[in-house]
Amino acid sequence: MARFPVWDPFIRLFHWSLVLLFAANSFVIDPDSALHAPIGYAIVALIALRLVWGLIGSPYARFSSFPISQSAILSQIRDIALSRRAAHCGHSPLGSVMICNLLFCILALGGSGYLASLSGGAVFPWAEDLHEFLVAWVQFSIVIHIGAVFFESRRIGVDLIRAMMTGFKEIPRYRAKE
Amino acid sequence: MTDPTKPLVLVLLIAAQAFCAVVFVGDVMADLFGTAEQEPEGGHAYFEALATLALIAAILVEIRILLWLLRRKAHLEQALSTAQSAVQEVIDAELDSWQLTPAERDVANFLIKGLNTGEIAAMRGSAEGTVKAQLNAIYRKSGCANRAELMSQLIDTLMGQRSQSPSTG
Repeated sequence: MARFPVWDPFIRLFHWSLVLLFAANSFVIDPDSALHAPIGYAIVALIALRLVWGLIGSPYARFSSFPISQSAILSQIRDIALSRRAAHCGHSPLGSVMICNLLFCILALGGSGYLASLSGGAVFPWAEDLHEFLVAWVQFSIVIHIGAVFFESRRIGVDLIRAMMTGFKEIPRYRAKE
Repeated sequence: MTDPTKPLVLVLLIAAQAFCAVVFVGDVMADLFGTAEQEPEGGHAYFEALATLALIAAILVEIRILLWLLRRKAHLEQALSTAQSAVQEVIDAELDSWQLTPAERDVANFLIKGLNTGEIAAMRGSAEGTVKAQLNAIYRKSGCANRAELMSQLIDTLMGQRSQSPSTG
């Protein structure tokens, strides 16, 4: 069993703050409350920091370490189809797609929320519909994300949730990829 | 020899349909359980729900086809000539008849390619003990005692196949 340091403190802090803030805005706080917009801006600021960290951060945090590649995606789906158990150290190829989807859509969520708030929605009447659609899409994505984390944890035999808390992936040596 | 079922096309199709399914499910939920913001749609909503269920069923079937396709293609990557893929087809048919699990089938393909237990374990990211258990399951299901007997059985099948259809390949 080898311990690979994969998620640096910023990534972990980013991930769990995003979880808390998104859950708060989406399930706890009323959309019309005065807190909704500030929390939304905090989320946008978090993602902006994450984007910068994707350029200058630790190796597995960088976008260059998890490019979206068709061949890698197909090879991961093939591994799933054959129940092969090779584990990626950083983001898996399908994981990369989900990360990019979530980063982009949550950013767009913040943007559409801002546009919808201008002069009580009079300036961009479509912004509120877009905002509501994006909420549904991001919630759906998160359900898939959590499901995929449990599924992949089982398939590759690595506790991915623990890794996001401790920063280390514990992978049997013969199973680690790249 | 173009293959209409490219895995990537299927992946994109599944993604696009999943996107539509989310939109439709949201719409159906709003129609059936939502607050009466607009006039209730009545029976129409049930037809929509039915159509959405059909879409989700189609997505599940497509996922099964995609996984099946990738399993089939997994060991054909280097088989460029038609003769090689014809041999692979015969082997596939034989493996089909043993009713192996996807994992066992993967191991069996590596076994036929001549990899030893350690190499198969490395290719699959499994422990060697796991591969040994899978090899035993393969021997049991194929009715062979060991690798040599299994290879003989395959060669036997290949030769039988060749005499039946000499034009193949």
